[in-house]
Amino acid sequence: MTDPLLQQTLKGVFRLAAPEIALIGTACVVFLFGCMYNRRWLWFAVSLAGVGLAAILAGTVKTQMPAVVTAAPIIPDTAAAFVRWVAIITAAVLVFVSWGEVDGANAAEYYGCLLVAAAGVSLVGRANDLITLFLALELLSIPTYVLLYLPARSKLNQEAAAKYFLLSVMSSAIMLFGFSYLYGLTGSTNLVVITDTVTKAHAETLNPMALLAAVFVVAAMGFRITAVPFHFYAPDVYEGGPLGVVAQIAFFPKVAGFVALARVLGLFASDPRHIPFDAYTQLPLLLWILAIMTMCVGNVLALLQDNIRRMLAYSSVAHGGYMLMGVVIASSLPDVNPDAKNQPGIGGMDALLVYLVAYGMMTIGAFAVILFLSTPDRPVESIDDLAGLGRTHPVSAAAMAIFLFSLIGLPLTAGFAGKLLLFIGAINAPTHTTEMRDLYRVMAIVAAVNAAVAAYYYLRVIGVMYLRSPIRQPSDSRAYPTALAAVVLAGATLFFGIYPQPIVKAARNAAPVPATKATVANPKQ
Amino acid sequence: MSTFPVVRVLVLLLVLLPLISAVLVPLCGRLARRVSLVIASTHLVLTGVVILAATETLSIRAAEEIRIRGDIEAQPFHPEFVPGDTGGRHGNEQRTSWTLFSLSAVPAKPGTPGPNIQFYLGIDGLNLWLVALASFMIIPVILVSWESITEKPGAFYGWLFLLQAGVVGAFLAFDVILFYIFFELTLIPAFFLIGRWGVGSGRRDAARKFFLYTLAGSLLTLIGVIGVVVTNPHPATGQLTFSLPDLMVNVQHHMHNAHQKALAGDPSDLAARHTTQFWLFVALMAGFMVKVPIWPFHTWLPSAYGEAPIGVTMLLSALMAKLGAFGILRLVLPLVPDAAIQYGLPVIGSLAAFGIVYAALCAFASKDMKMVIAYSSVSHLGFLVLGLFAFNREGLSGSVLHMVNHGLSTGALFAALGFLLERYRTTEMNRFGGLMGRFPGFAFLTFILVLASIGMPGLNNFVSEMMMLAGLFNARNPGVQGLGLAVVAALSIFMSAWYMLTMVQCVFFNPLKEPEPVTAVAAPDVTRREFVLLGTLVSLCLALGLFPQLLINTMKADVRVLSIVGDSARARVQGVPYVYEDEAPPPPLVSPGPPIGAPGPKGKGGGFKGKGGKGKNPLIGEEE
Repeated sequence: MTDPLLQQTLKGVFRLAAPEIALIGTACVVFLFGCMYNRRWLWFAVSLAGVGLAAILAGTVKTQMPAVVTAAPIIPDTAAAFVRWVAIITAAVLVFVSWGEVDGANAAEYYGCLLVAAAGVSLVGRANDLITLFLALELLSIPTYVLLYLPARSKLNQEAAAKYFLLSVMSSAIMLFGFSYLYGLTGSTNLVVITDTVTKAHAETLNPMALLAAVFVVAAMGFRITAVPFHFYAPDVYEGGPLGVVAQIAFFPKVAGFVALARVLGLFASDPRHIPFDAYTQLPLLLWILAIMTMCVGNVLALLQDNIRRMLAYSSVAHGGYMLMGVVIASSLPDVNPDAKNQPGIGGMDALLVYLVAYGMMTIGAFAVILFLSTPDRPVESIDDLAGLGRTHPVSAAAMAIFLFSLIGLPLTAGFAGKLLLFIGAINAPTHTTEMRDLYRVMAIVAAVNAAVAAYYYLRVIGVMYLRSPIRQPSDSRAYPTALAAVVLAGATLFFGIYPQPIVKAARNAAPVPATKATVANPKQ
Repeated sequence: MSTFPVVRVLVLLLVLLPLISAVLVPLCGRLARRVSLVIASTHLVLTGVVILAATETLSIRAAEEIRIRGDIEAQPFHPEFVPGDTGGRHGNEQRTSWTLFSLSAVPAKPGTPGPNIQFYLGIDGLNLWLVALASFMIIPVILVSWESITEKPGAFYGWLFLLQAGVVGAFLAFDVILFYIFFELTLIPAFFLIGRWGVGSGRRDAARKFFLYTLAGSLLTLIGVIGVVVTNPHPATGQLTFSLPDLMVNVQHHMHNAHQKALAGDPSDLAARHTTQFWLFVALMAGFMVKVPIWPFHTWLPSAYGEAPIGVTMLLSALMAKLGAFGILRLVLPLVPDAAIQYGLPVIGSLAAFGIVYAALCAFASKDMKMVIAYSSVSHLGFLVLGLFAFNREGLSGSVLHMVNHGLSTGALFAALGFLLERYRTTEMNRFGGLMGRFPGFAFLTFILVLASIGMPGLNNFVSEMMMLAGLFNARNPGVQGLGLAVVAALSIFMSAWYMLTMVQCVFFNPLKEPEPVTAVAAPDVTRREFVLLGTLVSLCLALGLFPQLLINTMKADVRVLSIVGDSARARVQGVPYVYEDEAPPPPLVSPGPPIGAPGPKGKGGGFKGKGGKGKNPLIGEEE
C-alpha cells in the first residue's frame, strides 16, 4: 500500500460516491427521527430535500477517473453518471408517487428505505468490483424487503413479502457462487481485471468455467430483470405489494440488474469490442433464448390476466425480454467489421438504456395512476374497476392511456423510440458468426410479433377506460402528489416520444458505440 | 423564387394545423362543429395555395426532367417545399435540417446527411393531390356528422383532426420512419372514433379488431423499413440513411452494381440481393396489405366500416384506405423494386384479383347499403393495387389518380348514405324502395355518384380505371399474369355496375317503401347543407372526369422516376441489360386504338410508353 497512486485511488472513493452518501445520510436522519415525529409532510419534504442534495452533489462534485482503474472499487464513467441520474430522478418521482399510500405511522421508514434503495441503484452503476457490486445490489434489495413488509396487513401482502425475500436471497446466493468462480479464475475481484483476463483467455480457447460463472451471474440477474424462468415471484409480488413499492420493484431492480449484467459482461468497458463473452461463445445464444422466452411467456401470460396488477407484472416481464435484446445485440459488437465503414447505428447497450428510461416512465406512471385511483376501501384490482374512467377521471384516464400506448410502442411515445432503437440494433447486427447467424434478425421479428400480441391486452384496458360506462362511484382520492407525478410522467413520455434526442444522446454518451476506426481489429478474425 | 419560404411554412402548417386543432377543438364545447368547419376550410385554403404554387413548380420540373435520360443516374423522388430546408433553391435537392434524433456516433453538423431520423416533409407529384383529398374530405365529413354526432362533439372533431393530421403527415413524409410514425398515428384516433361514436353494438370489438389487425401488420412493416435502411447503406461512405430519396439512390446503386456483376457472369450478388428483397418485400407488404386491405387480410374492414358512424366510415374509406396503397407506392415500389416485379403481380396481384371478385360478390350479397359500398371499396382497391404493381407509367399514374378518384367517389357515396341515416337511422336495402319519387334531388345526386363509382365515361373513375387497365395490358411484364389480371380487373368494372345498379334499383325504383322515419314530420328532400355537401362532391367527380390532365401533368415527373426504377428492375429480373427507353420522340408505329390491342413481344417496349399516353387522350377526347 505504498504506491501513492493506489492510495489516491482508494481515498478518492468517497468523493466519487458523494451523492449516494447524501442519500443514505438523509435516510439515516429520517430513520433516526422517524420514531419521534410522525408527520407525512415532514418526511416527504426531508426526503425530497435529500434527493435534491444528492442531485446538487451529482451535478457539482467534480470527479475524475481513478488513477489505478484496476484497483478502484468505484469508477465514475459515463454509464455510471447516467445510472446515477436515472436513480436520483426516479427517487424524486417515487417520493411523489408513494404519497398516496404512505401514512403517518410509517412515513419515515418508507421514505428512508426508498432513499437507500435509490442509493443502491446508483452504486450498482459505478461499481467496479465484485464486492462493491454485491453490496450495492444488497443495498437495493434489503430496503425493498422492509418496504414490502411495512404495510403488510393482509395475507396477500405477507405472501408477497415472503416470496420476494426468499427468492431474492436465493438469487444473491447464486450470484455470489458465480462471483466466486470469476474470482477463482482471475484472482481478482476487480471487474476491469476480470473482463480483461477472461477476454484474453477467450482469444485462444473458451474457458468452460468462465462460461459457467457467467451463466450463474445471468441467472442471478435474471431474477432482478424478471427474465423467464426467474419471473415466478413477479405476479404475486405485484399483486400483493403496496403499489408504490411495486412501482419501485418494477423499475429499480431492472436498472440494477441490467447495469450489473453489463458490468460483469464488460459491455460498458472503454472499448466494448473486447468483451469476454462475444458472439463466438454460447453466452449470447443463451441470452437470446432468455430474451425470446421472456417476451413470449410474459406476453402470453399477460393476455390471460384480469387483475390489472398481474397484467402489469407480466407486461413488465415481457419488457424485460425486449430489453434483453439490447444485451444480445451488444455481444455482436466485436464482429462489426471495421473495414466495412458501416457504422453500427446502435450498440445495443444504448438502445437498452433508452428503453429502460422509457419503460421506467411508463410503468411507474401506470402504477401511479392506479395508486391515485385506489382508496383503502375501494382498491383498483381488476381491469373492470377502471371502467368508464374516461368520463369519471378524464385526466387520470388520459395519462393512463398515454402510458399504455407507450407500452404498446405506438409512435410519439417514448416506448416507440426505445423499440425502434432495439429493432434497428437487432437488424443491423452482423450475421456472419456461426453461432448467431440470422438470429439477431429473427429476434427482431419475434419482438415485433410480440409487440403486436401485447397490444391486445393493453388495448383492452384502454377500451375498458374509454368505451364502457362507469360502474362505480368516482374515487375521491386526494393523493395529489401522486397525480402530479403521473401527469409529469405522461408529459415526459410524450415529450421524449416526439423528441427522443436528449435521451438518445445521453444513452449514447453513457454507452458509446465504438467508432468505425477501431484501434485493434477483432483478434478472432 | 421568393414564394418558396412561404410555401414551405404552409406545407408545415398542413400537418400542424390539424394537430393543433385536435387539441383546441375539444375545448370549444358547443361551438366545436362550427369551429372545426372553419378550421377545415382554412386548411383547404392553405392546401389550395400550396397546390397553386406546386403545380407550377412541378410542371416546370416535369418539363426539365424529361430531358434527363433515365439511365445516366438513378433519380430519386424529388420533394419540393421542404420545411426546414437550409440552402435549397428551386432545382436543387432539398433536404431538411430538422433532426428528430440521430444515430450517428459522432454528432453531425445540422444539414449534413447522416443516419438521422428527420422531420422531412415535402410536396411532390405523387402526394400533392392526395393531400388535397385529405384536406378536402374532412369538410364533407364534418357536414355529415353535423346533426348526427351529439355526444361530446368536441372530442369527436378533435379526433377527426388528429386522424387528418396523421394521414396528411404520412402523405407528406419523405423520411421512412416519419412515414411510419404518421402511418401508425392514425390508429389511435380511428380506434376512438369507431369505438366511442360507433353506431352498432359491436363497435368496441370492431375498433379493437381494426387496431390490432393493423398494428400487427404495420409492426412487420417497421421491421421491413429498418431492414431496407440497414441493407442499403451509402455505397461509398457506408452511412445509413432514413431519407427516402437518398435510400432510393442507394438501392438503385447497389442493385445496378449487382446487375453489372451478374451480366459479367457472377450472379451471386444479385441473387443474394433478390433474396433480401423478397424478405423485405414480405415484411413491408404485411402492413400495407392489411391497411389497403387485400384479401385475405380484409376481415377487419366489414366490421369497422359497418360499426363506425357514417362520417368516420367516409374518412376510413376515403383516406385511411389510401394509406396502404400509398405505402406501396412510396416505399415498396422504389425500395424493393425487384421483388415488386417478381412477386408483385404474380402473388399480390393474384390475391388482389381474387379479392376483387370476392368483394364484388360480397357486395352483391350484402343487405345493407353501407356494406355494399364497403365491399365495393375493397373491390376497387384491389384494382388499384393491380395498377400499382403493373409498375409502369400508365399503371402508376392511373393508380395515383384512382386513389384520389376513389376517395372522392366512395366518400361521396357514404355521404349519400348519411342522408338516409339522418332520416331513417337505417341503410338496410329491403326497407327502402321508390325513393326516386320521394326525394328526387337526392336521387339525382346519388345517381351521378353511383355512375362515377361504376366508371361511367365523363366521370372521374373512368379515366383512372382505363389508365390502370392500360398499364396492366402492357405486355412487358414477364409472364401472362398481367393479361389475366387485366381481364379480372376489367371484369370488376362490370361487376361494380352489377351490384351498384341492383342497389339503385332496389332503393330508388320499385314501389315506395320507407322505414319508420326519425321525426314525425315528413322528411324533406336535400336540405341546403346536404345540397352543398353532395353537390360539391358530385361536381368534383365531374370535374376530375373531364379534366384529369392537370393532375396527370403534375405527377408526370415522379411517375417517370418510378417507372424507370421499374424498368431497370424488370431488366434485372429478366437478366438482360437495362436499356433506357423514353417516350420522346413519340414513335410512329403507335396506332391510336384501344389499349387492349397493345400486347406484343417483350422487346418492343419503346413504343408502349407512348401508347399508354396516347391511348388515354383520345378516350378523354371522346367524353368531352
